[in-house]
Amino acid sequence: MERQQQIERIREARALIAAAMAECRSPQIETILRSADAELHWALWNLGEPVPLRPELEYGEAVPRGRTRVR
Amino acid sequence: MSGARLALLGARAGASRFWNEYTETMPREELDALHLKRLRALAEYAYELSPFYRVKFDAAGLKPRDIRTIEDFKRRVPLTDKSEFVGLQETAPPYGPTLALPPEFVVHHCETSGTTGVPLSIPYSMSDTVRYGESWVYGFWALGIRPSDSFYFAFSWGNFAGFWSAYWGARRLGCRVLSGGGLDTKGHIQAILRMRPTVLISTPTFALRMAAVAAEMGIDLSQSSIKYTYHAGEPGPTALPAMRVQLEQAWGAKAGELLGIAEVDALAPGCPEGDGVHVNEMNVFSWSMDPESGGEAADGTIGENIVTSYANTAQPLLNYRTHDLVLRRPSCPCGRTWSKLEGAVLGRTDFMLTVRGTNVYQSAVENLVAETPGVGSAYELVLTREGDNDVMTIRFEPSPEHAADPASWDGIGQQLSDRIHAALHVRLRVRPAAPNSLPRYELKTKRMIDQRPKEFRRALDR
Repeated sequence: MERQQQIERIREARALIAAAMAECRSPQIETILRSADAELHWALWNLGEPVPLRPELEYGEAVPRGRTRVR
Repeated sequence: MSGARLALLGARAGASRFWNEYTETMPREELDALHLKRLRALAEYAYELSPFYRVKFDAAGLKPRDIRTIEDFKRRVPLTDKSEFVGLQETAPPYGPTLALPPEFVVHHCETSGTTGVPLSIPYSMSDTVRYGESWVYGFWALGIRPSDSFYFAFSWGNFAGFWSAYWGARRLGCRVLSGGGLDTKGHIQAILRMRPTVLISTPTFALRMAAVAAEMGIDLSQSSIKYTYHAGEPGPTALPAMRVQLEQAWGAKAGELLGIAEVDALAPGCPEGDGVHVNEMNVFSWSMDPESGGEAADGTIGENIVTSYANTAQPLLNYRTHDLVLRRPSCPCGRTWSKLEGAVLGRTDFMLTVRGTNVYQSAVENLVAETPGVGSAYELVLTREGDNDVMTIRFEPSPEHAADPASWDGIGQQLSDRIHAALHVRLRVRPAAPNSLPRYELKTKRMIDQRPKEFRRALDR
């Protein structure tokens, strides 16, 4: 698979995970999904993509200390 | 299901020479463009979330948006020194204003050995541990280590980041981990013979110590299951070619080395050429500072390694002074474009020695000598090599009030030895010298007498 295509697939996977995580009621499942998303975020980082320093910075509500998004 | 073939990696990935060929061989212009984006994001992150960096930026009259080029970052972001962090952490332990994440994000705590005085507390978030471990894997893979290998950790697990991060790396690569835990040297040797690991992780001097003890037991470890030895924590096979020969002969294995700094990252895994390490430029941005001018040292000249970590988001470090003197090369026959530090670390801006795996700084020892009652102003620190270890002996003259009382000298020496042990966690030899027997100097006093063979000194200490 070409690099650009791989990046697109990973972005799609993150979007699906974010949807599955939305208002999740199980701490176990949310923890697993966050872990999966962190790995995908790390894959994008190592494909040279300009993602934020931490995956949580894209979640919105989970931004540390309630500050605005940092990119 | 019965016909399914289990494999940890697919055939194409498994055959790669690189852990990540795309980034490890990225052209410099592209790397620098990526660094600029990441440095700007990091500056914004640190300013928003780290109270320490907000104060530091404000004091310098700098806003993250002012950083438009890499040169801006090098020149305008103030240097950070470990002593600043230690001081602030002492006032509000464990992390003070250096923490950039809510405390519940910290999943692992490490500390430095405290050899410069007080240990530095290092917080890691979950993703920090993943990134830190990943740095090791570049070096493992380059040396030839694969997921089918098994790691033996000849180490007692404490708060030392080096071996925890190597463990995170071994897990990331998918290898089997065998922990030696608190075994003594003979126990480690017997465990290796019993469990048959293929990779040894230890300090280089402990690897040589194990080989020597094994020889006394009538065991030749060059015939053991170990195929690779990998080292960190003190100058090893990359910094000291003589040590590479000793390690590879003793273990019948390929020896690798990684340059790590506990609070930063396993920042530079070993080059397969064996003569240096490559900065992991996915985790770290680094440049060399001319110790004289404070300006940038050109490639091919010696300068202090200044590092910025993308890996430690719990405690960001920007333009961090390592005090390591390095010689940077922009290219390497191995094909990696990541900056190469030839010979790893060539010396220290503040001379440091590693005694029994503990870093000992000249300045820290001298401070303790000066503080000990009964010790006069004339003393020297003598470095020798005994077997596989560096040894430091402190020779001191008694202060004038004790000069005529030789019976008191050993007691003064014992007090000094105890103070050093309490502060630096290492036992150094202390020997009294007769009054006026040590040399005097008209200009700078020569405190450090290095009597080690040249091949056991780092290049700039020779």
